[in-house]
Amino acid sequence: MTQSAAARTAAEIPRARSKRRRFFDSRVPGVVLLLALLCLWEASARSGLVESVNWPPFSAVVASLVAGLLDGELLPVVLSTLWRMARGYAIGCAVGVAIGAAIALSRPLRLLLQPTIELLRPVPIPAIIPPLVFLLGLDDRLRIFSIAFASFFPVALNTHAGVRAVEPIYHQVARTFGVPHLTSLRRVVFPAALPFILAGLRTSLGIAFVVTVIAEMIVGQEGLGYYLVTMQFAMRAPEMYAGILLLTCVAYLLNRAFVAWEARAIRWARLVETMQEGAR
Amino acid sequence: MPIPAERGTAVLAALVLPLAALLCLEIASRSAIVDPTFIPPPSAIIGTLGDIVATGAFARPLAQTVLLLFAGYGLGSFAAISLGILMGASRAVYNCLEPLAELLRPLPKPALLPALILFLGLGAKMEVTIVALGCFFPVLINTIQGVRAVEPTMINTARTFGHGSFAVWRRILLPASAPYILAGMRVSLGLGLILAITAEMIAGTGGLGDSILRAQRLFLVKESYAWLVILALLGLVLTGVFGFIERRLAFWSAPQVT
Amino acid sequence: MAVTAGAMPASGATTQSAGARLRVEALGKAFAGPDGAAVEAIGSVTLDVAPGEFVAVVGPSGCGKSTLLQIIAGLLLPSSGRVLLGDRDVTGEPAHMVYLFQQYSKSLLPWMTVENNVMFAFRHRMKVSQADALTRCRDYLAMVGLGDSGHHYPWQLSGGMQQRVAIARALAAEPQVLLMDEPFSSVDALTRLDLHSLILDLWTKKHFTAVLVTHDVDEAIFLADRVVVLTQRPAQLAEAVATKLSRPRHSIETREAPEFLALRHRLLDHLLTRSGRTRDANPR
Repeated sequence: MTQSAAARTAAEIPRARSKRRRFFDSRVPGVVLLLALLCLWEASARSGLVESVNWPPFSAVVASLVAGLLDGELLPVVLSTLWRMARGYAIGCAVGVAIGAAIALSRPLRLLLQPTIELLRPVPIPAIIPPLVFLLGLDDRLRIFSIAFASFFPVALNTHAGVRAVEPIYHQVARTFGVPHLTSLRRVVFPAALPFILAGLRTSLGIAFVVTVIAEMIVGQEGLGYYLVTMQFAMRAPEMYAGILLLTCVAYLLNRAFVAWEARAIRWARLVETMQEGAR
Repeated sequence: MPIPAERGTAVLAALVLPLAALLCLEIASRSAIVDPTFIPPPSAIIGTLGDIVATGAFARPLAQTVLLLFAGYGLGSFAAISLGILMGASRAVYNCLEPLAELLRPLPKPALLPALILFLGLGAKMEVTIVALGCFFPVLINTIQGVRAVEPTMINTARTFGHGSFAVWRRILLPASAPYILAGMRVSLGLGLILAITAEMIAGTGGLGDSILRAQRLFLVKESYAWLVILALLGLVLTGVFGFIERRLAFWSAPQVT
Repeated sequence: MAVTAGAMPASGATTQSAGARLRVEALGKAFAGPDGAAVEAIGSVTLDVAPGEFVAVVGPSGCGKSTLLQIIAGLLLPSSGRVLLGDRDVTGEPAHMVYLFQQYSKSLLPWMTVENNVMFAFRHRMKVSQADALTRCRDYLAMVGLGDSGHHYPWQLSGGMQQRVAIARALAAEPQVLLMDEPFSSVDALTRLDLHSLILDLWTKKHFTAVLVTHDVDEAIFLADRVVVLTQRPAQLAEAVATKLSRPRHSIETREAPEFLALRHRLLDHLLTRSGRTRDANPR
């Protein structure tokens, strides 16, 4: 009797342990934590536990967000920010790819340009904005230039690395078939470097977004950054938090969209990598 | 092996562009091809810079910014490394905290400034908090990656030799994940500086960010450029020092995890 | 000398003329070694290849066979000597020679489909419509037995199939000379025999000049009209032997022929003793 009872307990214990372990193996505890924190936020705000003005309940924030989106107040703000960012990002990336490729392919250009690039890279981006006001005024040109300037560096660096990292055998293939230099750049070097270039573009996307918000906060007249500062000034906490929430969502979606597109664009790179790993 | 002649050419080539640009600016500004009110000649800017340095007017703002940066950077990095090691080593902890971290990560940290201002006002507390928050995430992510990347065989080997858990951590986990952690700290340094200056600009209570914005608002053109130079030098020095430390600490590898 | 880049019959199956004589004159190559001192990879190699001939180059590993081939292909510059095609000095230029890489899987561009890879070889030189180019491409793929793999990507194919794509691509460029750098060393034995037959088949049809570098003596004798043996580094010509085996060659029968075995014995003996290796598996 005792023996079988002991055997049953011994069998049960590992099962019980694994059930707990399985709980922690999933994402459930994390989600639970999140929900718990949100509930805490809501409860503490509603019960007046925390200073009320700056601590609106989460439900009020969501309500403000929905209201703002529905009555059309927030949408133009978001679009204004995105449009500004898009222009700066596009310019920064275009120049970044061009110069990154140029210094990778030409030693004289590299000796000429790379030191200057390395010198300019550590300059903190907000610092260039006030002096630039004198050059570019207080309008969008200033903000777009700052965004472009910040976007430039990761793209240029990654493009440089990518073009340099092109397998020598690809160059040899182009040579042995007598492919003209320009065609080889277009059909061999550029695709081969694309994984690096896209990584740089992805990093720059995040940076461009941050710089857009910063520029709008410091010298802005419209856009999400300006909206946040305005709401903070007016002590309109629910609107401000709604703005932050919106910003987070936009940033998240931008990143996911880019990652998805990137995965498709360089599908071959992942698969080649896994194949080479397998062969080793 | 670069021959002395090659090195000389490289140094020369490096200087061509900046010197040519400065020269053109000098000529263009002095001969009023460009409006010298908005684009003063570099010599005048250097003169103003000299004044700022000579009078010691740079000292207080510089000290304030540097202190702010180190406080926030230190706090954020320490918290991130501690939490990162925990999350990297324990699946349970990771699964508990990861969704929360994933939610907070895409948030552009400058966006938290208005909220922090509402809570903490415009003083040092707010500034240190935003810098710490900004520095936290890159270091956290990289630390987790670093801990995860440590070859299990390394750890198992250590265990078979009878090393206890703490020793394993100290002698294997930390050094092996150091390159990753340092890569994260490098990103955080740049981000921290940006946030520090932005916070100072918005708060207006001193520091280099405040100085440069004030100069612009008071239409002190030459001063604005001079402060920019000081900030650029600060960025350069910080990057250089960090690079030096990184090379000393993790000379065997430096993987890039952005 | 007939040069075949240009308009071609719609059927796609051309008979190239054999083209010009390939001549390697006193070719030498030295590299900077790890300590800065010059390392002589190739001493002085002179080689004369008749149009349409199939020559195999064998030698101990590391003797510089691949380097020699790359110099002929124009991918490397020699330190001394020159390469002539016909009476034109083509040292350093790709010319009408195509190099078939040892790392065939890496040589196929992974972002292009098989078809685009093949077309990459000749599209820039052909002033014809896309349809004609596609036809030619498909013909060559069919010739290597991959007629319906055009839309795949190289990394979706097996090693043997990838090598076939590389061969199709090389031949689609209709070179006068095909230079092969140990192309079959990393496929399994049966696939190798298959590819041997394929190469001979194509060579018979297209009449290009072939230079094969290999460490496999059997392969060299089976495929070639003439086998050239190089010494160890610095490489020089040790000997050159005509195989004198009848064509067409048969996978099994030719390899059992007495002439084959005799030549094999001779070459292996040469290589094993000259390189200081022992002939016996278990020395006493």
